[in-house]
Amino acid sequence: MQSIETVAAYEVDPALRELLDSGDRESFEAALDTLIRGREQHLFHSLGCLARDLHDSVRRLAADISSDGVPGSMGDARRHLRDVIDMSSQAAHRTLDFADKLRPQARELSAEADALLAEEVHDEVFASQATALAIRVGDFTQALDIGIGDMVEAQSWQDLSGQRVAQVESFMGKVESSLLELVRLTGTLAGGHVAKVDKVGQDEVDRLLSEFGF
Amino acid sequence: MKILVVDDFSTMRRIVRNLLVELGFTNTLIQEAEDGNAALALLRSAPIDLVVTDWNMPNMTGIELLRAIRADAALKAMPVLMVTAENNRDQIIAAAQSGVNGYIVKPFTAVTLREKLDKIFERLAAVG
Repeated sequence: MQSIETVAAYEVDPALRELLDSGDRESFEAALDTLIRGREQHLFHSLGCLARDLHDSVRRLAADISSDGVPGSMGDARRHLRDVIDMSSQAAHRTLDFADKLRPQARELSAEADALLAEEVHDEVFASQATALAIRVGDFTQALDIGIGDMVEAQSWQDLSGQRVAQVESFMGKVESSLLELVRLTGTLAGGHVAKVDKVGQDEVDRLLSEFGF
Repeated sequence: MKILVVDDFSTMRRIVRNLLVELGFTNTLIQEAEDGNAALALLRSAPIDLVVTDWNMPNMTGIELLRAIRADAALKAMPVLMVTAENNRDQIIAAAQSGVNGYIVKPFTAVTLREKLDKIFERLAAVG
Protein backbone atom coordinates (compact mmCIF):
# COMPACT_ATOMS: atom_id res chain seq x y z
CA MET A 1 0.00 0.00 0.00
CA GLN A 2 3.06 2.21 0.10
CA SER A 3 2.65 3.34 -3.52
CA ILE A 4 -1.01 4.31 -3.09
CA GLU A 5 -0.17 6.35 0.01
CA THR A 6 2.56 8.13 -1.96
CA VAL A 7 0.11 8.94 -4.75
CA ALA A 8 -2.39 10.20 -2.19
CA ALA A 9 0.14 12.79 -1.05
CA TYR A 10 -0.16 14.59 -4.40
CA GLU A 11 -3.11 16.45 -5.82
CA VAL A 12 -5.04 13.93 -7.89
CA ASP A 13 -8.12 13.97 -10.02
CA PRO A 14 -11.20 14.02 -7.69
CA ALA A 15 -12.71 10.94 -9.39
CA LEU A 16 -9.42 9.11 -8.96
CA ARG A 17 -9.19 10.19 -5.29
CA GLU A 18 -12.69 8.88 -4.70
CA LEU A 19 -11.69 5.49 -6.10
CA LEU A 20 -8.51 5.56 -4.04
CA ASP A 21 -10.46 6.30 -0.87
CA SER A 22 -13.01 3.60 -1.66
CA GLY A 23 -10.25 0.99 -1.38
CA ASP A 24 -11.33 -0.64 -4.69
CA ARG A 25 -7.83 -1.31 -5.94
CA GLU A 26 -8.86 -2.86 -9.25
CA SER A 27 -11.05 0.09 -10.28
CA PHE A 28 -8.41 2.55 -9.10
CA GLU A 29 -5.70 0.90 -11.22
CA ALA A 30 -8.03 0.75 -14.24
CA ALA A 31 -8.75 4.48 -13.87
CA LEU A 32 -5.04 5.16 -13.48
CA ASP A 33 -4.30 3.20 -16.69
CA THR A 34 -6.89 5.25 -18.57
CA LEU A 35 -5.34 8.47 -17.29
CA ILE A 36 -1.82 7.42 -18.32
CA ARG A 37 -3.01 6.22 -21.72
CA GLY A 38 -4.72 9.56 -22.29
CA ARG A 39 -1.52 11.43 -21.47
CA GLU A 40 0.51 9.11 -23.72
CA GLN A 41 -1.95 9.72 -26.56
CA HIS A 42 -1.37 13.43 -26.09
CA LEU A 43 2.40 12.93 -26.28
CA PHE A 44 2.14 10.73 -29.38
CA HIS A 45 -0.22 13.18 -31.00
CA SER A 46 2.27 15.99 -30.32
CA LEU A 47 5.02 13.86 -31.86
CA GLY A 48 2.77 13.23 -34.83
CA CYS A 49 2.14 16.97 -35.22
CA LEU A 50 5.90 17.55 -35.05
CA ALA A 51 6.31 14.98 -37.83
CA ARG A 52 3.65 16.84 -39.83
CA ASP A 53 5.50 20.18 -39.35
CA LEU A 54 8.77 18.55 -40.36
CA HIS A 55 7.09 17.05 -43.37
CA ASP A 56 5.75 20.46 -44.41
CA SER A 57 9.22 21.98 -44.04
CA VAL A 58 10.68 19.21 -46.15
CA ARG A 59 8.03 19.77 -48.82
CA ARG A 60 8.76 23.52 -48.85
CA LEU A 61 12.46 22.76 -49.25
CA ALA A 62 11.62 20.31 -52.03
CA ALA A 63 9.54 23.03 -53.74
CA ASP A 64 12.38 25.56 -53.44
CA ILE A 65 14.80 23.12 -55.03
CA SER A 66 12.36 22.14 -57.80
CA SER A 67 12.96 24.36 -60.80
CA ASP A 68 9.28 25.23 -61.24
CA GLY A 69 8.74 26.09 -57.56
CA VAL A 70 5.71 23.79 -57.39
CA PRO A 71 5.58 21.73 -54.20
CA GLY A 72 6.62 18.37 -55.46
CA SER A 73 7.89 15.20 -53.93
CA MET A 74 11.21 14.85 -52.21
CA GLY A 75 12.10 12.45 -55.02
CA ASP A 76 11.70 15.29 -57.56
CA ALA A 77 13.88 17.62 -55.52
CA ARG A 78 16.57 14.97 -55.20
CA ARG A 79 16.37 14.31 -58.94
CA HIS A 80 16.90 18.06 -59.58
CA LEU A 81 20.03 17.95 -57.44
CA ARG A 82 21.34 14.95 -59.36
CA ASP A 83 20.61 16.89 -62.58
CA VAL A 84 22.79 19.73 -61.24
CA ILE A 85 25.67 17.28 -60.79
CA ASP A 86 25.15 15.84 -64.29
CA MET A 87 24.93 19.25 -65.97
CA SER A 88 28.00 20.61 -64.21
CA SER A 89 29.84 17.41 -65.11
CA GLN A 90 28.92 17.83 -68.79
CA ALA A 91 30.03 21.48 -68.72
CA ALA A 92 33.36 20.53 -67.13
CA HIS A 93 33.91 17.78 -69.71
CA ARG A 94 33.21 20.23 -72.55
CA THR A 95 35.84 22.57 -71.13
CA LEU A 96 38.27 19.67 -70.88
CA ASP A 97 37.45 18.75 -74.51
CA PHE A 98 38.50 22.27 -75.59
CA ALA A 99 41.68 21.98 -73.55
CA ASP A 100 42.51 18.61 -75.12
CA LYS A 101 41.96 20.09 -78.59
CA LEU A 102 43.73 23.44 -78.12
CA ARG A 103 46.80 22.30 -76.21
CA PRO A 104 48.38 20.22 -79.00
CA GLN A 105 47.55 22.98 -81.54
CA ALA A 106 49.28 25.57 -79.34
CA ARG A 107 52.34 23.33 -79.02
CA GLU A 108 52.43 22.70 -82.75
CA LEU A 109 52.27 26.43 -83.45
CA SER A 110 55.03 26.99 -80.91
CA ALA A 111 57.22 24.41 -82.67
CA GLU A 112 56.56 26.07 -86.05
CA ALA A 113 57.56 29.46 -84.60
CA ASP A 114 60.79 27.92 -83.27
CA ALA A 115 61.49 26.38 -86.68
CA LEU A 116 60.99 29.74 -88.37
CA LEU A 117 63.45 31.38 -85.98
CA ALA A 118 66.04 28.77 -86.92
CA GLU A 119 65.70 29.40 -90.63
CA GLU A 120 68.08 31.65 -92.52
CA VAL A 121 66.23 34.34 -94.44
CA HIS A 122 68.16 36.61 -96.84
CA ASP A 123 65.62 39.41 -97.06
CA GLU A 124 66.58 41.47 -94.01
CA VAL A 125 63.29 43.37 -93.66
CA PHE A 126 61.26 40.16 -93.98
CA ALA A 127 63.65 38.35 -91.64
CA SER A 128 63.24 40.93 -88.90
CA GLN A 129 59.44 40.90 -89.27
CA ALA A 130 59.31 37.10 -89.29
CA THR A 131 61.59 36.91 -86.25
CA ALA A 132 59.44 39.41 -84.32
CA LEU A 133 56.29 37.49 -85.20
CA ALA A 134 57.83 34.12 -84.33
CA ILE A 135 58.93 35.43 -80.93
CA ARG A 136 55.44 36.77 -80.23
CA VAL A 137 53.85 33.49 -81.33
CA GLY A 138 56.26 31.57 -79.11
CA ASP A 139 55.49 33.74 -76.09
CA PHE A 140 51.75 33.56 -76.72
CA THR A 141 51.61 29.80 -77.19
CA GLN A 142 53.61 29.27 -74.02
CA ALA A 143 51.24 31.49 -72.05
CA LEU A 144 48.30 29.71 -73.68
CA ASP A 145 49.67 26.32 -72.69
CA ILE A 146 50.07 27.40 -69.06
CA GLY A 147 46.60 29.00 -69.11
CA ILE A 148 45.01 25.84 -70.48
CA GLY A 149 46.76 23.82 -67.78
CA ASP A 150 45.35 26.16 -65.11
CA MET A 151 41.91 25.86 -66.70
CA VAL A 152 42.09 22.06 -66.54
CA GLU A 153 43.11 22.20 -62.87
CA ALA A 154 40.29 24.64 -62.14
CA GLN A 155 37.73 22.15 -63.45
CA SER A 156 38.14 20.22 -60.21
CA TRP A 157 35.46 22.61 -58.87
CA GLN A 158 32.94 20.25 -60.46
CA ASP A 159 34.12 17.34 -58.35
CA LEU A 160 34.23 19.39 -55.15
CA SER A 161 30.87 21.14 -55.61
CA GLY A 162 29.34 17.92 -56.95
CA GLN A 163 30.36 16.09 -53.79
CA ARG A 164 28.66 18.75 -51.65
CA VAL A 165 25.46 18.53 -53.71
CA ALA A 166 25.58 14.71 -53.53
CA GLN A 167 25.87 14.96 -49.73
CA VAL A 168 22.81 17.25 -49.54
CA GLU A 169 20.91 14.87 -51.84
CA SER A 170 21.77 11.91 -49.64
CA PHE A 171 20.90 13.90 -46.48
CA MET A 172 17.46 14.69 -47.90
CA GLY A 173 16.88 10.99 -48.53
CA LYS A 174 17.81 10.22 -44.91
CA VAL A 175 15.51 12.96 -43.58
CA GLU A 176 12.66 11.58 -45.64
CA SER A 177 13.10 8.00 -44.43
CA SER A 178 13.61 9.12 -40.80
CA LEU A 179 10.47 11.19 -41.05
CA LEU A 180 8.50 8.23 -42.29
CA GLU A 181 9.92 6.11 -39.48
CA LEU A 182 8.88 8.76 -36.94
CA VAL A 183 5.35 8.81 -38.34
CA ARG A 184 5.23 5.02 -38.27
CA LEU A 185 6.54 4.86 -34.70
CA THR A 186 4.23 7.54 -33.28
CA GLY A 187 1.29 5.96 -35.12
CA THR A 188 2.09 2.54 -33.69
CA LEU A 189 2.56 3.92 -30.16
CA ALA A 190 -0.73 5.79 -30.45
CA GLY A 191 -2.45 2.48 -31.02
CA GLY A 192 -2.32 2.02 -34.78
CA HIS A 193 -0.76 -0.95 -36.55
CA VAL A 194 1.42 -0.01 -39.45
CA ALA A 195 3.50 -2.40 -41.46
CA LYS A 196 7.11 -1.34 -41.83
CA VAL A 197 7.58 0.41 -45.11
CA ASP A 198 10.85 -0.03 -46.94
CA LYS A 199 10.15 2.01 -50.04
CA VAL A 200 9.70 5.62 -49.04
CA GLY A 201 7.59 7.76 -51.27
CA GLN A 202 5.67 10.98 -51.00
CA ASP A 203 2.34 9.17 -51.26
CA GLU A 204 3.36 6.84 -48.46
CA VAL A 205 4.27 9.73 -46.17
CA ASP A 206 1.02 11.56 -46.96
CA ARG A 207 -1.08 8.43 -46.47
CA LEU A 208 0.51 7.62 -43.13
CA LEU A 209 0.24 11.16 -41.84
CA SER A 210 -3.45 11.37 -42.70
CA GLU A 211 -4.04 7.85 -41.37
CA PHE A 212 -2.97 9.02 -37.93
CA GLY A 213 -4.79 12.30 -38.13
CA PHE A 214 -1.64 14.38 -38.45
CA MET B 1 53.98 1.49 -66.14
CA LYS B 2 50.35 1.16 -65.11
CA ILE B 3 48.47 3.64 -62.92
CA LEU B 4 44.91 3.19 -61.62
CA VAL B 5 42.89 6.37 -61.01
CA VAL B 6 39.90 5.84 -58.68
CA ASP B 7 37.19 8.52 -58.33
CA ASP B 8 33.39 8.50 -58.58
CA PHE B 9 33.46 11.75 -60.58
CA SER B 10 34.48 11.25 -64.21
CA THR B 11 35.66 14.90 -64.37
CA MET B 12 38.20 14.26 -61.62
CA ARG B 13 39.42 11.00 -63.21
CA ARG B 14 39.97 12.90 -66.45
CA ILE B 15 41.77 15.79 -64.72
CA VAL B 16 44.13 13.43 -62.85
CA ARG B 17 44.76 11.51 -66.10
CA ASN B 18 45.42 14.81 -67.91
CA LEU B 19 47.83 15.97 -65.19
CA LEU B 20 49.69 12.64 -65.21
CA VAL B 21 50.20 12.94 -68.98
CA GLU B 22 51.40 16.54 -68.52
CA LEU B 23 53.84 15.34 -65.88
CA GLY B 24 55.41 13.04 -68.43
CA PHE B 25 53.62 9.76 -67.83
CA THR B 26 53.12 9.43 -71.55
CA ASN B 27 54.14 5.79 -71.90
CA THR B 28 51.90 4.87 -69.03
CA LEU B 29 48.67 2.92 -69.19
CA ILE B 30 46.22 4.90 -67.08
CA GLN B 31 43.20 2.88 -66.03
CA GLU B 32 40.10 4.19 -64.26
CA ALA B 33 37.65 2.88 -61.65
CA GLU B 34 34.63 4.66 -60.18
CA ASP B 35 34.77 3.21 -56.66
CA GLY B 36 36.81 0.98 -54.36
CA ASN B 37 35.00 -2.20 -55.41
CA ALA B 38 35.70 -1.67 -59.11
CA ALA B 39 39.30 -0.72 -58.25
CA LEU B 40 39.87 -3.91 -56.23
CA ALA B 41 38.47 -6.04 -59.05
CA LEU B 42 40.88 -4.37 -61.50
CA LEU B 43 43.84 -4.66 -59.11
CA ARG B 44 43.19 -8.38 -58.67
CA SER B 45 42.87 -9.03 -62.40
CA ALA B 46 45.90 -7.17 -63.79
CA PRO B 47 49.22 -5.85 -62.48
CA ILE B 48 49.14 -2.16 -61.50
CA ASP B 49 52.13 -0.08 -60.28
CA LEU B 50 50.37 2.80 -58.49
CA VAL B 51 46.86 3.68 -57.24
CA VAL B 52 45.64 7.29 -57.09
CA THR B 53 42.37 7.31 -55.19
CA ASP B 54 39.67 9.66 -53.94
CA TRP B 55 38.31 9.20 -50.38
CA ASN B 56 34.56 9.85 -50.68
CA MET B 57 33.02 7.30 -53.00
CA PRO B 58 29.87 5.18 -52.87
CA ASN B 59 30.01 1.39 -52.26
CA MET B 60 33.64 1.32 -51.14
CA THR B 61 35.46 4.46 -50.01
CA GLY B 62 39.12 5.27 -50.59
CA ILE B 63 40.14 4.43 -47.02
CA GLU B 64 38.33 1.08 -47.25
CA LEU B 65 40.11 0.42 -50.52
CA LEU B 66 43.46 1.29 -48.92
CA ARG B 67 42.77 -1.10 -46.01
CA ALA B 68 41.64 -3.86 -48.41
CA ILE B 69 44.86 -3.41 -50.42
CA ARG B 70 47.03 -3.60 -47.27
CA ALA B 71 45.11 -6.69 -46.10
CA ASP B 72 45.60 -8.50 -49.42
CA ALA B 73 48.82 -10.54 -49.51
CA ALA B 74 49.23 -10.01 -53.26
CA LEU B 75 48.56 -6.26 -53.18
CA LYS B 76 49.83 -5.05 -49.81
CA ALA B 77 53.01 -3.41 -51.18
CA MET B 78 51.03 -1.36 -53.71
CA PRO B 79 51.81 2.39 -53.46
CA VAL B 80 48.60 4.34 -52.83
CA LEU B 81 48.27 8.11 -53.25
CA MET B 82 45.14 9.63 -51.75
CA VAL B 83 43.66 12.66 -53.51
CA THR B 84 40.77 14.02 -51.50
CA ALA B 85 38.78 17.00 -50.26
CA GLU B 86 38.88 15.44 -46.78
CA ASN B 87 41.42 17.43 -44.81
CA ASN B 88 40.49 16.96 -41.18
CA ARG B 89 43.19 15.76 -38.84
CA ASP B 90 41.54 12.47 -37.85
CA GLN B 91 41.09 11.40 -41.44
CA ILE B 92 44.67 12.20 -42.36
CA ILE B 93 45.84 10.21 -39.31
CA ALA B 94 43.52 7.32 -40.26
CA ALA B 95 44.98 7.27 -43.77
CA ALA B 96 48.54 7.40 -42.41
CA GLN B 97 47.84 4.58 -39.94
CA SER B 98 46.33 2.52 -42.76
CA GLY B 99 49.58 2.87 -44.67
CA VAL B 100 48.93 5.55 -47.29
CA ASN B 101 52.00 6.55 -49.33
CA GLY B 102 50.93 10.11 -50.09
CA TYR B 103 48.06 12.48 -49.37
CA ILE B 104 46.93 15.37 -51.59
CA VAL B 105 44.14 17.76 -50.61
CA LYS B 106 41.83 18.92 -53.42
CA PRO B 107 41.91 21.28 -55.17
CA PHE B 108 45.53 20.72 -56.12
CA THR B 109 47.95 21.64 -58.89
CA ALA B 110 50.17 19.63 -61.20
CA VAL B 111 53.16 20.83 -59.16
CA THR B 112 51.74 19.25 -55.97
CA LEU B 113 50.97 16.02 -57.79
CA ARG B 114 54.52 15.90 -59.17
CA GLU B 115 56.01 16.49 -55.69
CA LYS B 116 54.01 13.70 -54.07
CA LEU B 117 54.64 11.25 -56.90
CA ASP B 118 58.38 12.01 -56.85
CA LYS B 119 58.44 11.33 -53.11
CA ILE B 120 56.63 8.01 -53.54
CA PHE B 121 58.97 6.86 -56.30
CA GLU B 122 62.06 8.03 -54.36
CA ARG B 123 61.03 5.97 -51.34
CA LEU B 124 60.20 2.97 -53.50
CA ALA B 125 63.63 3.18 -55.17
CA ALA B 126 65.31 3.39 -51.73
CA VAL B 127 63.41 0.34 -50.49
CA GLY B 128 63.62 -1.62 -53.74
